Amino acid sequence: MSTDYGESETRFGIRIDRFERLRETVAGDYKATFGLTTVVLFVLAAIFAPELAPYDPMAQDFALMQAPSLSSPHPLGTDSFGRDLLTRMMYGARISLGVSLGAVTIGAVVGVSLGVVAGYVGGWVDDALMRFVDVLWAFPWLLVAIMLVAVFGQGVWNVVAAIAFAYIDDFARLARGEVLSIREEEFVLAAKNVGLGDVQIMTEEVLPNAVAPLIVQFTVLVARAMLAESTLSFLGIGVKPTTPTWGALLGQGRSLIGQAWWISIVPGIAIVVTVLGINLFGDALRDAFDVRGEGGSP
Amino acid sequence: MGLQRYVAKRTLQAVLVIYVVATTVFVAIRSIPGDPARLILGGDADADAIAAVRAELGLDEPIYVQYVRWMSDLARGDFGASIYTGEPVLGRIAGAAEPTLSIGLVGITIAVLIAIPAGIVSATRRDQWEDYVATGVAFLGISMPSFWIGIVLLLTVGTAIPAIPSYGYASIGEGVVPWLSHVILPAAAVGLPYAGIITRMTRSSMLEVLSEDYMQTARAKGLPPRLILFKHGLQNALLPVVTVAGILFALLLGGIVAVEMVFGVQGFGRLLIRSIERQDFPIVQGSVIVISIIFVFMNLVVDLLYTSINPKIKYGGEA
Repeated sequence: MSTDYGESETRFGIRIDRFERLRETVAGDYKATFGLTTVVLFVLAAIFAPELAPYDPMAQDFALMQAPSLSSPHPLGTDSFGRDLLTRMMYGARISLGVSLGAVTIGAVVGVSLGVVAGYVGGWVDDALMRFVDVLWAFPWLLVAIMLVAVFGQGVWNVVAAIAFAYIDDFARLARGEVLSIREEEFVLAAKNVGLGDVQIMTEEVLPNAVAPLIVQFTVLVARAMLAESTLSFLGIGVKPTTPTWGALLGQGRSLIGQAWWISIVPGIAIVVTVLGINLFGDALRDAFDVRGEGGSP
Repeated sequence: MGLQRYVAKRTLQAVLVIYVVATTVFVAIRSIPGDPARLILGGDADADAIAAVRAELGLDEPIYVQYVRWMSDLARGDFGASIYTGEPVLGRIAGAAEPTLSIGLVGITIAVLIAIPAGIVSATRRDQWEDYVATGVAFLGISMPSFWIGIVLLLTVGTAIPAIPSYGYASIGEGVVPWLSHVILPAAAVGLPYAGIITRMTRSSMLEVLSEDYMQTARAKGLPPRLILFKHGLQNALLPVVTVAGILFALLLGGIVAVEMVFGVQGFGRLLIRSIERQDFPIVQGSVIVISIIFVFMNLVVDLLYTSINPKIKYGGEA
C-alpha cells in the first residue's frame, strides 16, 4: 500500500494528515495491531516460501501419506499424496493472497473510474453508467465464475476476472456517492473558477478527497475476495487442481474428512486467521479515517 | 419527482436490467465450447443422429432466430424445458429451490436470533467485556468461509449428535422434525457469517440511535431505561438493519451453493453447476433470469423502503 494518501493535500482541497492518525490508531488498538501483524506474517511467509518452506511443494513422501498434524517430520501433516502440508500452505498463500489482491485492484480501478465519472458528470451519463453497474450487480458472481471456467477452462486469471467483476459495482457505487457529496464543496467550485479542466478536477481534487472510504472498502473486499477464492477452489471451478491454494487444499481434504480431518481443517484455519486479520485492520482503518457504516457480505 | 413516477421509472429500469442480463447469458452460454446434442448422445454417435437432435432442439437455426423465439416465449412466461429430461424449466427450478430456500431462511433466522440480541448488548455495554466478546465473535464469523463452518460443524456437532443427519435433505412434507434435523447444520453454516454482519450493523445503528436527542428527552422524562431502550431505541435502530439484511439475503447464494456440496443437498446450486456442465441451455438461462429478477427487485424494494424510512432522501435525488 502506498503512503501518498497520507497527506491528502490537493491544491484547493482540505488537508488531512491521515497517515499520522492511522499510525496512532494502529499503535493504540489491539485489534489493529493483531490484524496488521497477522497479515504481514502471512505475506512474508508467502513471499519467502521458496526459502522458508521445509520441503518441495510437489515432493511426495510415500512412506508418510496422510500423516497427521503436529507430528514430525511434517509439522502440519501430509496430504493423500504424502506432500508436506505446511509447504503447500506457504506456496498456496502466494496464490490465495495474489489472486485476492489482484482481483480487488482490478475491480477498484474499473469501479472507481465508472463511479467518479458518473458522479461528476451526472445527467444521462450518470444514468447510463449506473444502469450498467446494476447489470453487473444483477449477475451472481458465482455464475460468472462458472461461465468463465466453462468457456476458457480453469486458471488463475479466470478466477481473478470473476472476482474482480463482482466488485466493480461496490466500488462504482461508493465512489459515485462520495463524488456527489464532494462535487458541491467550495474547493471544487474554486478549482472550476480558475479554469481547471474536468479531468484534472476529477483526478486531482475530487478523488484524493474520496480516497479514505475507498481504502476501507478495498480492505474489506480483499478479505471477501479471499473467501470467494476459497469457495471457487473448493467447488473445483477455481484454479487448476494441481495448483495449491488454500481453498483447493481444503477441497481435496473434504473427501478424506473421516480419515484425515487435518487436511481440510489446517488450510481453513489459515484462511480464517488471514481474513480475520484483514477485517480487523480494515475496521481500524475505518475508525482512523472516520468512515461510517458497515459494508460487505461474506 | 413524485413517488408514483419514481416507482414507475425504477421498475422500467429494473426490467431493462433483467433484459440485458438475459441476453448476456444467452450469448455467454452459447460460447461455451461443445455441443449439447453430442453430450446427450455420447461421444460415438453418428452425424445424422446428432443433426436430428440438433433440429429437434432448435439448435440448427441461426442464433438470431433462436434468440427471437426464446425472447418471445419468455415474454409470455414460457421459460422452455430441459434439453435432457424435457421437464419445464420453472418446475425444475422450483423443485430444486425448496432445499436452498429452506437452508437460506433457517440460516437467516438463526443469524437474526443471535445477532440482534448480541448487537444490542454490544451497543449498550459499549467498551465493556460483553462488547469485546460480541465484537470478537462477530469478526470471527465474518472471516470464515461458510463451507468450512459446515465441515467443522460436521466433524463436531454431526459426530457428537447422531440424531442429526450429516447428509442429504428431507422435504418439509415428510414432517418438520426430519426437515429441520437435515437443514439445521447447513443453515447454521450459512447463517453464522451473516450473524456476524448483522451484529456489527445492529451495534453501530443502535449506538447512533442511543446518542439521538429523542433518547435524551426520553431519559430526561424519567421513563424506565428498559422501555426507552426497546420502544424508542430498538424500533429506530432496526429499520436500517432490516433493509440491509434484505439485500444481503440475495448475496447468500454463493455460500449456499458450497454448503450444499458439503452436505450433499440436491439444491439450486447443484442444479446450476450440473446444468452448466451439461450445457442444458434452457435451465441455465432460466436460473440466471430468476436469480437476477430476485436481485433486482430486492434492490428496488430496499431502495423504496429506504426512501420511505428516511424522508431526507428525495426520489431520484442524490441519494
